Amino acid sequence: MKLFSVQNITYSINENKLFHNLSFEINSGEGLHIKGGNGSGKSTLLRIILGITSPSKGLIQSYDQDLKISYLGHKNAIKNYLTPIENLELLFSGDDLNVAFEWLNKFGLSHVQDELTASLSFGQQKKLALIRVLAQSSDLLILDEPFVGLDQATADQLNSFLAQKISQNAGLILTSHITPMIDCAVLDLGAKNA
Amino acid sequence: MLSFIKAESFKLSKKLKSWLGPLLVMVLVLIAFPLSIDISQYDLDKFYFSIIIVSLLMTAFVATEGMFEEDFEDGSLEQEFLKEKDFYKLVISKIFVYVCLIGIPIAFIGALFSFANGVAVDSFGKVFLLLILSNLLLFNLFAFGNALSINKGAMLGVLSSLPLALPVIILLGRAIRSIQYEDGFFAVTTLMVGIGLMVSAIMPLIISVALKTHID
Repeated sequence: MKLFSVQNITYSINENKLFHNLSFEINSGEGLHIKGGNGSGKSTLLRIILGITSPSKGLIQSYDQDLKISYLGHKNAIKNYLTPIENLELLFSGDDLNVAFEWLNKFGLSHVQDELTASLSFGQQKKLALIRVLAQSSDLLILDEPFVGLDQATADQLNSFLAQKISQNAGLILTSHITPMIDCAVLDLGAKNA
Repeated sequence: MLSFIKAESFKLSKKLKSWLGPLLVMVLVLIAFPLSIDISQYDLDKFYFSIIIVSLLMTAFVATEGMFEEDFEDGSLEQEFLKEKDFYKLVISKIFVYVCLIGIPIAFIGALFSFANGVAVDSFGKVFLLLILSNLLLFNLFAFGNALSINKGAMLGVLSSLPLALPVIILLGRAIRSIQYEDGFFAVTTLMVGIGLMVSAIMPLIISVALKTHID
């Protein structure tokens, strides 16, 4: 099933084109790895797909009005003055909350679940942010540099979780400097300002 | 909307400094100002209400500082935009929660201290109501200032919202006079309720647009 298509997207900053006439589409059960140098527009492209940033030209067409998207940006969207449990309680309720608690176990955060998030390491905070995304039942996952801050074991674990999501028919778009160990198409935006 | 209110109440209740700080500032100013002057030289009852009004202005400003900044900094605003496509519900809930958890207690403290001005006990309700309405207006205006100044420098917010707060102060002064002289209280209160409802409906729309501009 088609999730959305990107049609002839162009984005410029101060007459400097980050990308020009870019087109692709994402179907459910498919993954796309966007790679490119620093400043090549990977995050901007994700934000355009999400509708947060408007493109200079072109169109994003969604084929499902109720498309559920989970997004992990550069900012983790977690509250430092709350515990991991409280952070999840803010976002989930009922059965979804139980699912989120299971993800705490999967990522090995159960032993710090009652500590303030501010006292957790960067990697642990990143795991919590990933739980926020993975615990949602979404049609499409959009992840901006999900592997940053993770140790090798957790990165491998994340690869298998993402592969599992794709096998469950979710779409996946991620940007990363590390090649993900999942079967997905690659879009290379090239070096900076290419 | 209820889920927004619940979430915002929970977040604010966990930030002790954010809600307790303004209350303490209010109490401190109301106590410290009379102590800092030789009260035997003046008829304190003639201008104590002015102290309450100025304290109200200050504490409302302090209370709304950082209202949206934290959500912007940690990326929660982006997430909210993805879910709702605008910020209207979030803003209206946030202001409602701030008025309930900070504005109403501040109004209560102000009304309590108004007895230093020789206000009759049966006027407590009137003063309390006026201070709540003033806080509703001030919190909306300062929330607008805060939304403007998220990443454009704090001065922009101050410069844009403080002039808007002045009519509220004039209106509150007029309302307080109506209590003191028992003249036209109902008319002024009705006017404040009307303005309060209008501002509470329109201001979140403007703030919502300002927030969208910041995340773009």
